[in-house]
Amino acid sequence: MLARAQTFTIEGLQTRQVTVEVDIRGGLPNFAIVGLANAAVREARDRVQAAILNSGYEFPARRITANLAPGDVPKAGPGFDLALACAVLAASGQISNERLANHALFGELSLDGEVRPCHGSLAIAQATREAGLHALVLAPQRAREAGLVEDLGVVAARCLQSVVRVLNGGPGDAVTPASVPPRIGRGEMGEEWEQDLGDVRGQRQAVRALLVAAAGAHNMLLSGPPGTGKTMLAQRLPSILPPLSSSEAIEVTRIHSITGSLDSEELVRRRPFRSPHHSVTTAGLIGGAGRGWVGEVVLAHNGVLFLDELSEFSRSVLEALRQPLEDGRVAIVRAQHSAVYPARLMLVAATNPCPCGYLGEGERCRCTEADLARHRRKLSGPLLDRIDLLATVERPSASELRAAPVTSSQNAREQVIGARERQAARLKDDGVTANAQMDVHMLRRHMALDASGVQMLRKVQECGELSARGQHRLLRVARTVADLEGSRHTSKRHLAEALGWRAEVTLQSRRVA
Amino acid sequence: MSAEPSRGELCRHDPCFPAALAQMRGAPRVLYVVGGPERLERLLSQPAVAIVGSRKATDYGMETTRGLARGLAASGVTVLGALADGIAAAAHLGALEVDGPTVTVMPGGADVCSPASRRALHKRIGDVGCVVSEQPWGRGIRRWSHLARTRIVVGMAQMVIVVEAEEHPTALAPARLAEVLGRAVAAVPGRVSSPVSQGPHALLAAGARLIRGPQDALDALYGVGVKQAPAKKIPLTPSLREVLAQVGSGHDTLAKLAAAGNDAEETIVALAELELTGALVRGDGGRYLPRG
Repeated sequence: MLARAQTFTIEGLQTRQVTVEVDIRGGLPNFAIVGLANAAVREARDRVQAAILNSGYEFPARRITANLAPGDVPKAGPGFDLALACAVLAASGQISNERLANHALFGELSLDGEVRPCHGSLAIAQATREAGLHALVLAPQRAREAGLVEDLGVVAARCLQSVVRVLNGGPGDAVTPASVPPRIGRGEMGEEWEQDLGDVRGQRQAVRALLVAAAGAHNMLLSGPPGTGKTMLAQRLPSILPPLSSSEAIEVTRIHSITGSLDSEELVRRRPFRSPHHSVTTAGLIGGAGRGWVGEVVLAHNGVLFLDELSEFSRSVLEALRQPLEDGRVAIVRAQHSAVYPARLMLVAATNPCPCGYLGEGERCRCTEADLARHRRKLSGPLLDRIDLLATVERPSASELRAAPVTSSQNAREQVIGARERQAARLKDDGVTANAQMDVHMLRRHMALDASGVQMLRKVQECGELSARGQHRLLRVARTVADLEGSRHTSKRHLAEALGWRAEVTLQSRRVA
Repeated sequence: MSAEPSRGELCRHDPCFPAALAQMRGAPRVLYVVGGPERLERLLSQPAVAIVGSRKATDYGMETTRGLARGLAASGVTVLGALADGIAAAAHLGALEVDGPTVTVMPGGADVCSPASRRALHKRIGDVGCVVSEQPWGRGIRRWSHLARTRIVVGMAQMVIVVEAEEHPTALAPARLAEVLGRAVAAVPGRVSSPVSQGPHALLAAGARLIRGPQDALDALYGVGVKQAPAKKIPLTPSLREVLAQVGSGHDTLAKLAAAGNDAEETIVALAELELTGALVRGDGGRYLPRG
């Protein structure tokens, strides 16, 4: 007898529908799984057999062939167990075939028949709806996550017996599904952050730079001696970023659900903050180490990628960041597969100002000019070209450490959200949301330089040292400064502040080497 | 592309040979000159000042040296140096900013750039000034050749200005050589707490001439008030001038300026304007330096 069950496989961030076909006929007892299954799927054989027997059903002692179609899609992961078990039960006449056709089944089975949660439930739920299936059956721990998808029946099943009950027309096990909250407004973000900007004393300039960067989604570099708070500042960036919009939240939850880095069953509301160690490899950062492996830039999608000790990262790794920083996506091509992943992120990097770290601290720095040149060379080029703001973090004085903090995260976040709203309103026809994403045409349309601004820009151009790209970066940051102030026009003082944040060392052309 | 600069060799008994050098004990027998003997003679017919100092210079030292060399070169004084990293390179760069006269001496052959990272500067000095050596073309560098090179730099100069140097016999070798050869010794003061200020301060304490800028050096060469250094012509409003003065007195970051009671917003605009007019440069670590 033949039975079919529906499930899905995940490759990278993409899902593919898989039909599990089980055929049972006379012959020596055997259970074979065919259809490009990897080790985890082939091991399902033993789990499925034990789970069926331990749940009190009969495992036919005949020749069983399971086929995972289509046969050219590689299948990975333990999520096929449930579909295999149900197809076996249906093929042996223990459950009816009719409901099996319009229910997607996704879950791993334990030997005693319990349904275990698998990674990527949100993506599977989305795929189920797109495939037009009636409902998705999965472990109760993942039901809330799958419930984020609208117009889809999600049925939680604790064990194989519950699944059989559902497929025979009974109810699932009770869980409360999560709901997608409407776009989170300003007032609702009063939640507490463990890491608040209010912990930072002094550092007025660096805090301001952080605010400007957050307001325009600009990439920034924090430079300063060890122990002055570069990492501390960067870690507080997520607390002042605007909350994820509902579509962004779904995207982020989906990615983190697939990679298994989701720490709750709820929708992710906070922007991701990834800080890979500087020993990270290109494949670890970008992805593509194995089939479907996503890198840190993808995990930081819609959030922040923090590179601490930037000069310690290998040059090839930093070079590889160009594409995601430029396009907001990574295209991975390997011999056997290729994939395009979203990677729209805000880069924050921290570095010592010189190899010893104490440059600018009076006589403590003993680096030679050649050391500095080497250090600068290492940072410049590929990456410095994409840094919009360079913030210098100084050692705060004793009185600053005693003084009240410059601002709190709550305060800063309100300013950031205000500035982002102004940007979004202005840029709504251009398909981008933040100033950092403006291209040359948008810059021309939206800069609104006033007379003093035009004059200042002309002076900058006459100095002749800032490249065209450098000027564009300058303009974007100036626009953000104006947005923070709520000013419609970009004027001299906004450009002046942006000039102070620029990453280029010199403005004046000095003609000789 | 400019043509290759002319090259030539110069015997000690050639009338073109630098007179000051020829009178020196242990003068080189032959000078190999990139730029040609005629140009060397012309460059050394006017007063020549050697600017020497540490390779581990601070950015204060670098900026001061640049300003000093620029002022001297603009007043028609030839700047001599050694093309090493740090102060020496800054001296050449300052002179070249105004296309002024400058001569450098190589420890190996005059066509062998040392350190190699200064290739561009080596080439540019060869194009507009002279690169000199007592070593034959293409000769590599020996352990002793740096000190031997220093003797030629000092020998060609009327005055040796030490900008930043540790108080150490090797670092102060140019000053000692200058004393032996009867050249005037001068020094630029720095912060008393900085190790690279110890050398110049020791020289000053021992009676070296105090140099605060190009005008002091010109007074020493020509007599007080005889020749004026060309004044910088940067028109500044009084408020900008005040910010510039504060930066010069050590409030060199925005945070320090704000702490000194300036309005942060006005200061941001002032710093940007000062930088755009060239009165300030932004150094490493985000600090601003008055352009010397």
